Amino acid sequence: MGSKVKRLREYFFSFRYLWNSLGILAAISVVSHVFRDSLDIINIALIHIIPVVIVSMHGETKATVLITLLSVICLNFLYIPPLYSFSVSNELYLWSFAIFGVVGFIITLQSRNLHAQKRQNILRESLLHIISHDLRTPLATIHGSINLILTHEHLEKEKVESLLEDIDYASLRMKRLITNLFDATRVSGEEIDLKHEWCDFEDIVGVALEEFSKKQNEFIALHVDTISLYWGDNMMLTRLVVNLVDNALKYSTPNTTIDFSIREERERVVIKIFNYSDYVEGIKMQNIFDKFYRLEDVNDISGSGIGLAMCKNIVTLHGGTIGARAHKGGIEIEVGLPIIKKVGLV
Amino acid sequence: MKKILIVEDDRSVQKLLEIACKENGFEFVSSETKKGAMMLFLSHNPDLILVDLGLPDGDGKEFIAQLREISKVPIVVVTARHDESEIVASLDSGADDYITKPFSVNELLARLRANLRRERLDEKIDETIVCGALEMHLVSRDIFLDAIPLKLTPIEYELLKYFILHANKTLTHKQILKEVWGVGYQNEMQYLRTYVNTLRKKIEICSTRPRYIKTESGIGYRFCCNQENE
Repeated sequence: MGSKVKRLREYFFSFRYLWNSLGILAAISVVSHVFRDSLDIINIALIHIIPVVIVSMHGETKATVLITLLSVICLNFLYIPPLYSFSVSNELYLWSFAIFGVVGFIITLQSRNLHAQKRQNILRESLLHIISHDLRTPLATIHGSINLILTHEHLEKEKVESLLEDIDYASLRMKRLITNLFDATRVSGEEIDLKHEWCDFEDIVGVALEEFSKKQNEFIALHVDTISLYWGDNMMLTRLVVNLVDNALKYSTPNTTIDFSIREERERVVIKIFNYSDYVEGIKMQNIFDKFYRLEDVNDISGSGIGLAMCKNIVTLHGGTIGARAHKGGIEIEVGLPIIKKVGLV
Repeated sequence: MKKILIVEDDRSVQKLLEIACKENGFEFVSSETKKGAMMLFLSHNPDLILVDLGLPDGDGKEFIAQLREISKVPIVVVTARHDESEIVASLDSGADDYITKPFSVNELLARLRANLRRERLDEKIDETIVCGALEMHLVSRDIFLDAIPLKLTPIEYELLKYFILHANKTLTHKQILKEVWGVGYQNEMQYLRTYVNTLRKKIEICSTRPRYIKTESGIGYRFCCNQENE
């Protein structure tokens, strides 16, 4: 119940700029009506352009059109002779109305650009956050361990070896994270163009699995059907599989198998991945695809929380669906990708 | 002893490469610039060249192209640019292989050995080539897998032949399509993907975990011969 009210409120607030400009238009109408004798028609017209300017700063074409029309109608009805009618005595006024439209159009275009830049900034900020947060941890290991080795000449050999192993592992983590970040910048904008090509899912799975150690691979049970080539972005789909497997490995109960399957249904390719998990109870299934959502109490599991968010982005860009559910003491993630083009081989 | 020419302008990476070479029984000469590298190449006649793509006096790709005009020496590109199109461009301009920074010494050595071995393969093109459990007779066009005859379609045969003759080298999609299908087919990726898939089903034990035809994502394929490095 509460969430419904909240959603309604959010919906209302998402159009706040529209309400604002409607309010301003009303206020302007009142003011110019009261002072109509001391204001010339030209000033009144100029005042009426204010709501148009304000609404078009939000870059929404529909809203701009609506407010421009309302503003023009007010102006026409209340001030342009003949008064209190929609007819226009002098055709020159039609030009003034057209100028309203032009002003609205130009500002809308400009603010669109600004908005795109703003989105980029938000993205950059979240990336900076990840960099400072998640790259620092492995870097701390590397820096600290090396310092220790350099300053303590007489460390036992075993200790040095274990420190070196830590350094090796930490650097691998950094490498994986950097690859992830690099690809994340490519998929986080909605308007990004995918590089479509013919993809072989068996090949993609093969490449993805190479990113994991031999030992990790032993816990992955594959069921990959022979399916026809899929029209999609090869790199992105590889990233999708890597992140799905990575996530399953991270949260699976130790020493249990992960089931991974790909099959072709009528008009879509369905990828399913299942892992047993000890954390099923605490998971909010609809939240796990949000950026930076991580399970509580699992701080020891390394990760940036961008993995599944990236999966969602990739799937959305391909026009598909992704969902998670608790199932037989574990989590099953299902991805559905629509087949938009079928290969024609001569 | 094999001699390696290292062309790398970053001091610490250069040191790393030099130590790795020395400790594993390779001789080396190194240069930080394109010009110096060309001089060293002419005076030392190395068996393999490791070259960084970003050099202070020009792009590594130009250097590769210049070298290719005068020599067939194996060239392995070392690059920090995580950009497939750069790697593809350098492979197309004549490099044999690539390795991206950061890399482990084991990866580096595997690349060096594979490319030095390939050079030996080039010298003696026999009628019979053996590669792991695969045996290919070029004259009779017979292929055996674990001594069992293998049935391939003509295109599958041509593809496998091209792979085997260029084993242990990264081949770009374009190169393969041009050589196997012909000029004008360079962008017909669906052919390549389909035939690699069917070929894998015939020669690999598990086609999703291939041991012969490895995918270099976004770049092309590499046919692995002698899998001792795995």
